[in-house]
Amino acid sequence: MNPVQHFRLGENEARFRSPSFFFRILLLAFFVFTPFMFRSFEVLDVVLKIIIFSALVASYDVILGYTGIVSLGHVLYFGIGSYFVGIFMGKFGWTSYGHLALAFLIAIVISGILSVLIGLFSLRIRAIFFAMVTLAFMEFTFILSSQLRSITGGDDGISFKLPGILAIDFSYGKFLGVDFTGRLISYYLILILSLILFLLMLRFVHSPVGRVLQSIRDNEQRSIALGYRTYLFQVIASSFASCVAAVAGGCFAIWVRYVSPDSSLSVPIMLDVLLMVIVGGMGTLYGGIFGAAFLMVTRAFLPKLQVLIASLLPGVPFAVRLSERWLFYFGLLFIIIVYFFPKGIVGTAQEILSRKKVEEK
Amino acid sequence: MSSPWKRWLPTLIVLAIFLSPLLLINPKTYITITISGLAMGMLLFLVSSGFSLIFGFLSVLNLAHGALFAWGAYIGFTSFTLINQWTGWGGSNSIFLNIIIFLLALIVAGLLVALLGIITERLVIRPVYGSHLFQIFITVGAMIVMEELIRIVWGPNDEVMPVPINFMGSWDFFDVVVSRYPLIAIIIGLVLYLVILTILRKTKIGTIVRAGVENPEMVQVMGHNIYRYFTGVFAAGSALAAIGGGMWATFVKSIHPAMGGEVIVFALIVAIIGGLGSMTGSVVGALMVGLSYNYVAYLVPKAALGITMLLLVIILSIRPTGLFPEGT
Repeated sequence: MNPVQHFRLGENEARFRSPSFFFRILLLAFFVFTPFMFRSFEVLDVVLKIIIFSALVASYDVILGYTGIVSLGHVLYFGIGSYFVGIFMGKFGWTSYGHLALAFLIAIVISGILSVLIGLFSLRIRAIFFAMVTLAFMEFTFILSSQLRSITGGDDGISFKLPGILAIDFSYGKFLGVDFTGRLISYYLILILSLILFLLMLRFVHSPVGRVLQSIRDNEQRSIALGYRTYLFQVIASSFASCVAAVAGGCFAIWVRYVSPDSSLSVPIMLDVLLMVIVGGMGTLYGGIFGAAFLMVTRAFLPKLQVLIASLLPGVPFAVRLSERWLFYFGLLFIIIVYFFPKGIVGTAQEILSRKKVEEK
Repeated sequence: MSSPWKRWLPTLIVLAIFLSPLLLINPKTYITITISGLAMGMLLFLVSSGFSLIFGFLSVLNLAHGALFAWGAYIGFTSFTLINQWTGWGGSNSIFLNIIIFLLALIVAGLLVALLGIITERLVIRPVYGSHLFQIFITVGAMIVMEELIRIVWGPNDEVMPVPINFMGSWDFFDVVVSRYPLIAIIIGLVLYLVILTILRKTKIGTIVRAGVENPEMVQVMGHNIYRYFTGVFAAGSALAAIGGGMWATFVKSIHPAMGGEVIVFALIVAIIGGLGSMTGSVVGALMVGLSYNYVAYLVPKAALGITMLLLVIILSIRPTGLFPEGT
């Protein structure tokens, strides 16, 4: 039995007994029962955005944390996903389930092809070129989407209706005291899709390909020496993650029923994703959930905090101005986390847990 | 046989791009557009040369470069306004005084932003040398912080950039309309290019920096404290970005806090096209981007950005490491 098989065996035996397994079940149960626990739409909105962004951040983590290459244009594929749903539903007015599925399918295919092309001609040279070229492409697509008014609706974006049971005015009636509207059905649809994406990604990073990717991250020279064509593996990882991001983008469009360059394709979203991935921890996948939860919850409470500060310090315009610029603190957070917690929440927790295990032994 | 041909290939490409629009545009308009293209190219050169030098020497992908650029524009704006209140040279009829006040504002911007660059390098970037991943995170953080500081200090709204009175309008040479400011920008850009080139080629510091681009460890082995040079190059790159920012702001006549983000993408493309760490590459790449952008913007306005991306894709597929090797 080789070491990998031995490791797998141990992993499989511990799978259903480890505390983290129950934690995962608890997390899933929380997402499933959120509509029953909280009746307000704001909470549901925040929780759903956490779900979508967890999938997006996890897909980014596949590139960044597992393969070790930096893409600064990952949101491009998220935008492609939302725009295809938006254009199909809103611009062409094809509101049917078939067309919704078709929009997703086309978005996945196009994202895959585009990321393979970008990867093929920029990863060949140096991994750092990939960061620059992806950033340039994202900026290019952003400007394209705000200029091509006839297709994308320009800066105003497209708002649209969804078919059948996903439509906003659909109501199934009451279930356990909760109105089952189109909103709630879309919530569960997105939850299921994100869960599938998450399981797919877990499968991907634990597959043989995923192991090769981690070896590239840890020591590229050695992977080359072992006979792997590393840059092909990097292209595979980047295109897989792009397809996942496209689906996440489509889900986002389904939830907000609106797409515009600022809401689904801009640099600020990319910065959010970067922050989420380092808050949560790179190379953990689950970190995405914590990072997204941290950022979304902070963002939801920030306006209240600002009102509080403004009432506490009346007549100090500079303090109010400082409190208004919450992005400033996010910038500081970037720097502080890289200094003191480079492993993020999940990475640090894993480290503490594994240290405990060693001590017990 | 192939080596001299290869050596002149970039020049030939530039000339081909330079002359081909003559088929579609009449010669007088062509000259006007060419001059504004050259001016844009020179401004892009100022931004991307610092970026490229920092990448080549420190091997830091400095995403905060755009924020330094915006700081340069804002400091240029403030110092111009202050000096103008004091002396009134900006509204004077003498173009000589106009140029003096403009240069003074640029120098103030360059010096202050160089200081900011030193602080950034010391505090933020120094702890993460050698790790590209953390450098990207930390420079993104620095970019956000600096951009938000602009919003805190100057307020979040757009400002109108004051322009010396004689910089507006145009000169008429034999029926060809030549806007004044682009011509001035080209001259300042060229002078700066020559200064940078002389420093890099003829002085001892320049030699050490060029050696450091090739092999930093070896420079350290020779007994030079390379970290001091790192700080110096970062400061110089920041100053170049600031001068570029001030000149760009005068070019487009307005400033806003997020202006760096738009220009940094151009600077990135220029630096990749020209070859990271190469000054000649920066100037050639910047002129190529500036000229092609302006020609296409005149012929097919919507495709202007597309041509830049196309240029990037073509050059990366022909010469994956850019047009010029490092350290030239």
